[in-house]
Amino acid sequence: MKKTSEQHIDQSAKLAFSFFIASAGLWLLAAALLAYIAAAKLTDPLFLASWEIFTYGKIKIIQANAFVYGWGGNSIFAVSLWIIARLSQSLIRGSTFLIFAGTVWNLAITFGLFGILDGYMLGHELLEMPKEVWPALFVSYLVISFLILVVFRSRKQSTTIAPQWFIVAALIWFPCLFIFAWSGLEINPGRGTLSSILSIWFGQNIIWLWLTPVALGCAYYIIPSVLNRPIDKYYLAIFGFWCIAALAPWSVVHHLEGGPVPMWVPAIGTVMSIAMVFPIAVASTNFHSTAFQDISRVWNYLPLRFVIFGTLSYTISSYIGVIFSLPAVAKLTQFSIINEFHFNQRVYGFFSMIIFGIVYHILPQITGREIGTAAKNFHFWTSAFGVFAILLAYLIGGLTHGVLAQQPSLEWVTVIESVKPYFLITEYAFIILGFSQLVFVLNLWKVLVPNPFACCDSGAKQKTA
Amino acid sequence: MNNIFKFSFYIFLTLAFAWLAFVVGAKNQYGDLEPTAESLEEDGSIAPDADLFPKAMSGLAQLGAKEYLSLGCATCHTQQVRSEEAGFDVERGWGKRPSVPRDYILQDEVLLGHNRVGPDLTNVGLREYSNEWLHQHLFMPQSIVEGSICQPSPFLYETFDESEENTIETTLDGQQIFIKPSLRANRIVAYLESLKQDYELPEIAFSESIDDADLVAEATDTNESATEDSDTAFPTWLASQMDSGKDIYQKLAPGGGMCVTCHMPTGLGNKTAGIPPLAGSDWVLGDKERLIKISIHGLMGEIEVNGEKYIGAMNGFGQTLAAPLDDNQISDVLTYIRNEWGNSASSVSAEEVAAVRDEYKERPITQMWTTAELEKNPASD
Ligand code: HEC
Ligand code: HEC
Repeated sequence: MKKTSEQHIDQSAKLAFSFFIASAGLWLLAAALLAYIAAAKLTDPLFLASWEIFTYGKIKIIQANAFVYGWGGNSIFAVSLWIIARLSQSLIRGSTFLIFAGTVWNLAITFGLFGILDGYMLGHELLEMPKEVWPALFVSYLVISFLILVVFRSRKQSTTIAPQWFIVAALIWFPCLFIFAWSGLEINPGRGTLSSILSIWFGQNIIWLWLTPVALGCAYYIIPSVLNRPIDKYYLAIFGFWCIAALAPWSVVHHLEGGPVPMWVPAIGTVMSIAMVFPIAVASTNFHSTAFQDISRVWNYLPLRFVIFGTLSYTISSYIGVIFSLPAVAKLTQFSIINEFHFNQRVYGFFSMIIFGIVYHILPQITGREIGTAAKNFHFWTSAFGVFAILLAYLIGGLTHGVLAQQPSLEWVTVIESVKPYFLITEYAFIILGFSQLVFVLNLWKVLVPNPFACCDSGAKQKTA
Repeated sequence: MNNIFKFSFYIFLTLAFAWLAFVVGAKNQYGDLEPTAESLEEDGSIAPDADLFPKAMSGLAQLGAKEYLSLGCATCHTQQVRSEEAGFDVERGWGKRPSVPRDYILQDEVLLGHNRVGPDLTNVGLREYSNEWLHQHLFMPQSIVEGSICQPSPFLYETFDESEENTIETTLDGQQIFIKPSLRANRIVAYLESLKQDYELPEIAFSESIDDADLVAEATDTNESATEDSDTAFPTWLASQMDSGKDIYQKLAPGGGMCVTCHMPTGLGNKTAGIPPLAGSDWVLGDKERLIKISIHGLMGEIEVNGEKYIGAMNGFGQTLAAPLDDNQISDVLTYIRNEWGNSASSVSAEEVAAVRDEYKERPITQMWTTAELEKNPASD
């Protein structure tokens, strides 16, 4: 009996889920290509230099936006839709609206990115897309998240569990963040560096309060459900959740240390960043002490392997992040390419890896078709290797960069010369990651949009099952 | 946790607190900073004849800031000299002192940035780079700084094999070529030249590590280059018109227009006194004939500028102030206001002024225009 209701739910989610994850895949490829171009331009600035649209600054910015809003946004919609529906045991309604709003979302991003290429970039972090597209993005987001929250409201069980908190909170945080940032940046802009505080606050919080909680929610969902055992020390989870909610919005401004803003701003940021060790420790304990009780299952079930890679990288790199926010260290590395380490670890090493895992977990249930093991393994190993190479290069490169920059006697080009080898490593790593993601997306599409005959076939199979 | 409305409310609050602190708190603390003198009188007031800092950028440079932003230069370049406890920036010679919030209040685009693949540019206008060097660098950094990974912008230049008017000599792939900057390139270079925090403020003095003797030498240096800057940023003919226009705008003695007393050095006017802004004004940037008419005969009655209504009157400069302005002077000052404070529009020539003066020579010179009249009578441009 229970089984059929799950199938009903999957069936109701199928259309919207497929739409979102298929678009997410396309954005992922676009972002991978752009990441490669940007990395290549750092090693050879003359690469594609004569076209204005390929200038490094623009490519870099649209890469981040395509990644966060295109891949991040769409995959957040897809996985939260499914997880919330499953946990609430209710059907998804309004798939047409979801798909319509999703189309608007994707078109708005596309226009936004072309707007940036055309020279209409705004100067706020992750709000660089031109003003005109934001209303469309915002409204389509509200429609999508509303429809997901309706499912949550109609849940069969009134008590909620960790994955629900994180995902629902992320869905609500984004529009709040946007309204706050927009009001202070565009509607009633403050003068001078006031806007810089807000811009960094928004840009960092998008990662901390939108991508991060969704990924954490996915991990809280998949680990116990696959291993069939409760989360170890689950009572800590609620503490971890509220810690993130309470600390993250304050901690992000530590990036302004020493800058032309009131001293208390970065000071609060630093204190709060250090306090972030608590939620990180909680999540880490919850995930890893559960997972390591049955490590062979984790290893053998590929979706879980992806997720645990993500949570491990979250733990390790977040601790590294805390260390780098200490003023004594920040003095050296605050503006070095360590920032690339933080960004890439969060969006690739943590968020994307978990999303990959969860998608591999959901796909067969929704479509009844599997992606070949060889392809999945290829994807896992190349991603893992690529991410590792990028993070290591940016970490060591960032330290080198920071330490050398401090020597007043060194010409700046000399400093940069010593960082160049690391740029080269990242360039190759982005090629590997690009191929890895190409394999992922091709297979994803093949499973989602099989040839028409196969489709009827599997439909028939499902009916008889 | 189980009621979604309560839950949403709580997580909304977590954000709202932080936002209130950072935005409202910071805004209350320093949202109303104004330009001030390098040092204050004993009673904390500003001496009446003191020079105020920071100064607004020229219009060209403000447009340059927009180009700089749109090319994403800020992805690699910061514009903030960190305090001495927090970083090595002053030591590295990136500034004479740390940056403070007041330095940025007049900038439309504050591009602090947080990546330093390239050096900090807060004070690039103080480094001894000529206008030509900056153009060569913008065109192709690799041709003058070996091993640089600063991103080239050859698309902002026309290239020639032979020297032509207004071209700059440079090399590309070891070959000598000549490049002609586009308007956009000129804007960016004007912007870079305007980036300098070479003044002290009551809240921040130059860092001690800098040698006093050096400082004096450099200060005189920069003063010189500051006047040169505005020359080199525009083509010569326009630069001279701009210079003379600026002079007329500011001068209170005969030969001047005294505009500054009402429209303010910032071109922003004075809302409470009913003086409309010139910066960004349609009246200034729009139809030239209308603008010339206002200048000759004056303007009175209600007027809407940048969406706000003002009521007042301004005498024409054709009539006696201290001494009336002639066609040349009017054309200069109009050219100036059309290209300052972020404005950018075509220049006005003395012939155009003469033509309008001739057309309306029947009109008594003291009869000011009203907006109704000007609109009824749409001029052909
Ligand atoms: C890939 C990162 C990168 C981007 C993007 C970039 N730069 Fe640079 N920039 C550098 C590096 C590295 C240097 C140091 C080497 C040199 O002097 O060329 C530099 C140096 C400079 C300098 C000389 C500063 C000094 O004090 O010596 C100027 C001026 C400059 N850049 C302007 C620009 C402008 C304008 C843009 C936008 C069109 C830009 N840069 C975009 C990396 C970058
Ligand atoms: C005595 C103060 C005063 C002086 C001096 C003055 N103006 Fe005005 N100006 C005004 C007022 C008041 C108005 C609005 C008139 C109205 O309300 O109809 C105005 C309007 C204008 C306008 C049209 C509205 C706009 O904001 O675009 C222009 C252009 C202008 N002034 C240019 C100048 C120039 C150029 C000078 C110097 C040569 C100058 N003014 C000197 C008071 C002044």
